Amino acid sequence: MKKECVAMLLAGGQGSRLYVLTAHVAKPAIPFGGKFRLIDFPLSNCANSGIDTVGVLTQYQPHELNAYIGSGQPWDLDRLDGGVHILPPYIKGKEGTWYKGSANAVYQNMAFIEEYSPEYVLVLGGDHIYKMDYAKMLEQHKKTQAGCTIPVIEVSQDEATRMGIMTVDENDVIVDFEEKPAHPKSTLASMGIYVFTWEKLKKYLIEDEANPKSKNDFGANIMTSMLKGGEKMAAYRFSGYWRDVGTIESLWEANMDMLSGEKIDLSSPAWRIYAKTPTSPPHYIGDNATVSHSLVTEGCEVYGGVFNSVLFNDVTVEQGAYVEYSIVMPGAVIERGAMVKYAIIAENAVIKSGAKVGAPPEVFTKNPDEWGVAVVASGVTIGPGKVVGAREMTDDDLL
Amino acid sequence: MKNMHGILFAYSSNVRLKELTEHRTASSMPFGSRYRVIDFMLSNMVNAGITDIGVIMRENYQSLLDHLGSGKDWDLARKRGGLRLLPPFAYAGTRRELSTYRGNLEALYAITSYMEHIRQEYIVLADGDLIVNLPLEEIFESHIESGADITCVCLGHESGVEGGTYLRLGLQNRVREVLLSGLDEKAYPCIGVYILSKKLLEKLLADSAKHNGVIFTRDVLQRMQGQLNMTAYIHKGFSTRPQSVADYFKQTMALLKPDVRKDLFNRKRPIKTKLRDEASTYYAPESHVKRSVVADGCIIKGELEDCIVFRGVTVEKGAKLSNCILMQDTVIREDVDLSFAITDKEVEVTKGRILKGHESYPIAISKGSVV
Repeated sequence: MKKECVAMLLAGGQGSRLYVLTAHVAKPAIPFGGKFRLIDFPLSNCANSGIDTVGVLTQYQPHELNAYIGSGQPWDLDRLDGGVHILPPYIKGKEGTWYKGSANAVYQNMAFIEEYSPEYVLVLGGDHIYKMDYAKMLEQHKKTQAGCTIPVIEVSQDEATRMGIMTVDENDVIVDFEEKPAHPKSTLASMGIYVFTWEKLKKYLIEDEANPKSKNDFGANIMTSMLKGGEKMAAYRFSGYWRDVGTIESLWEANMDMLSGEKIDLSSPAWRIYAKTPTSPPHYIGDNATVSHSLVTEGCEVYGGVFNSVLFNDVTVEQGAYVEYSIVMPGAVIERGAMVKYAIIAENAVIKSGAKVGAPPEVFTKNPDEWGVAVVASGVTIGPGKVVGAREMTDDDLL
Repeated sequence: MKNMHGILFAYSSNVRLKELTEHRTASSMPFGSRYRVIDFMLSNMVNAGITDIGVIMRENYQSLLDHLGSGKDWDLARKRGGLRLLPPFAYAGTRRELSTYRGNLEALYAITSYMEHIRQEYIVLADGDLIVNLPLEEIFESHIESGADITCVCLGHESGVEGGTYLRLGLQNRVREVLLSGLDEKAYPCIGVYILSKKLLEKLLADSAKHNGVIFTRDVLQRMQGQLNMTAYIHKGFSTRPQSVADYFKQTMALLKPDVRKDLFNRKRPIKTKLRDEASTYYAPESHVKRSVVADGCIIKGELEDCIVFRGVTVEKGAKLSNCILMQDTVIREDVDLSFAITDKEVEVTKGRILKGHESYPIAISKGSVV
């Protein structure tokens, strides 16, 4: 059955800059914003934009992610025709390799795309937080008759040095781009998303595959060769909230952004972010609890203090426990008298009574470089009275 | 555990529930921050491995249909079996002129053609307006083990529940006597959940039709006592069937007790409900919340004490609420002062309003009203 546009979601990256958080789970399956996982954002955007055929390219630690996506029902992507498909690397005849890069991952699944004979292919990342109507971008792509359209956001000069920067002409046609330039020529940053006219992309994917020197990466290789090949590449200006959450710091910051509904509204019925939610009862706020500027969800029991924090489902904060500027993922327990500050506590971790995790940046005014968010990996127990300092990460019990 | 079929009676209402059942039956009343009453028995059945469930409805069932849908939120949208909604068009009886069934036997006569196709050997009959977390699998096992014809689920006699049917029990919880009213210290209140074989149910229905039987407790249990081997299963947990607005209020407030929550929201037997894809609840710096049960998707900027808050509720700053039940999408504007009140779905209480009910007479505000 023919589809106008098929989305390919790159979910195979290792996410090594998230360290212990991605030790046992693919990056797109990381919990986010109290109720979601990272992959809910692109999947919900697809569903809300009317794109009903999505291939999810997985390779690294895929089990939890595969189980999470299931039939695609939470995102309304369980379709008779199209729907969500998990696409791991596989053996073709005698050959077969792992995905060598983002472009190679799509190259290896050209047969999947061809089944729908699409005119356009949308390439998405699995680690971006944003709400975007892809249909509008597709409209512009059609109108400008570009071979590739890349959504961009305006960033500060300082941020520009850490991102892929696009230089455009007066018609927003891309004339040049640079990855992490020391002296940025523009402040338009690529959002790491691409719309391609399929015929064009196909040609460049095949060429790229034939080049043994290529890293088979969209940003580094496909973009460069398309630009050199004289293809029309257009920028699509996006002005909403967008965050790449590929590092501990940015993941923590983006979660903090969710606390004020002004940056991105996760509860607007007009553009919902869907998620597969566990069955948990309503949460309970106890007698001596204080909850301030925080998100709390189903299954939580709060008897202690929670400030500027995001609690995921089934978290327990016991009486006299104190949590501030932290992200506490599903099932974690913060026991009586424990202190958690500027930290990420992963799923089912237990912070025993009197233990301390993380520290506020104020303590590090003399040596700010030594400060960072503390991380306790999933299932880890921090014993009574033990200390996990700022910027420390632990993947082992500390008893 | 696939040999049991569930039938839920979801047609009943109670005039004393007033505003709460204006637009719905007792089974589809909201309860406990994120549920409808019927979620409890439905989940009990699903948690016991029951895959085929028929829900009998008669009037005012729009809200129930909307809630249950295809049954997918209870994992009951199945090709084989699953959820079957049984509205009155299937009723071939002679009492079309009446708006409700006079009793559950009458409701069962109405679904004879459905019953013929039941593939399981045993049937659980239960009321849809019963709020309880039952270990139905265990009850079924004890039914088989005891060799009883009918197992009736009861509460302990210390539970002090009034109204309804009571059982006097003998050795091994054999039913000695069925009492239809009057609180008796030695009797066990019957909560209206029965397990029996399909074969026996069909026979009992055929028999009671001859006597114009209408109510299961009176026309089967009581009439057949001595002739059938009836056993009671005594359930020790929380159970309620709200009878009036004040009773609904009181039973809801029981959720503030940790032991009641632990029992009703037993993590091994979770209560499932219709999903709504809400974000988390946000507590603003100026909020102040104590002893409250809150669902997702709320924005809380005011003060709450001893409240039960449903999904999507907004409480603006300066509002002070105590002992309130705020149903789905209620909006409480700035500086409202509210106590002992129940706001139904989509109620708005405008700025500065003061409303105070009492435990004995909580104020119920109808669905969609603006105060």
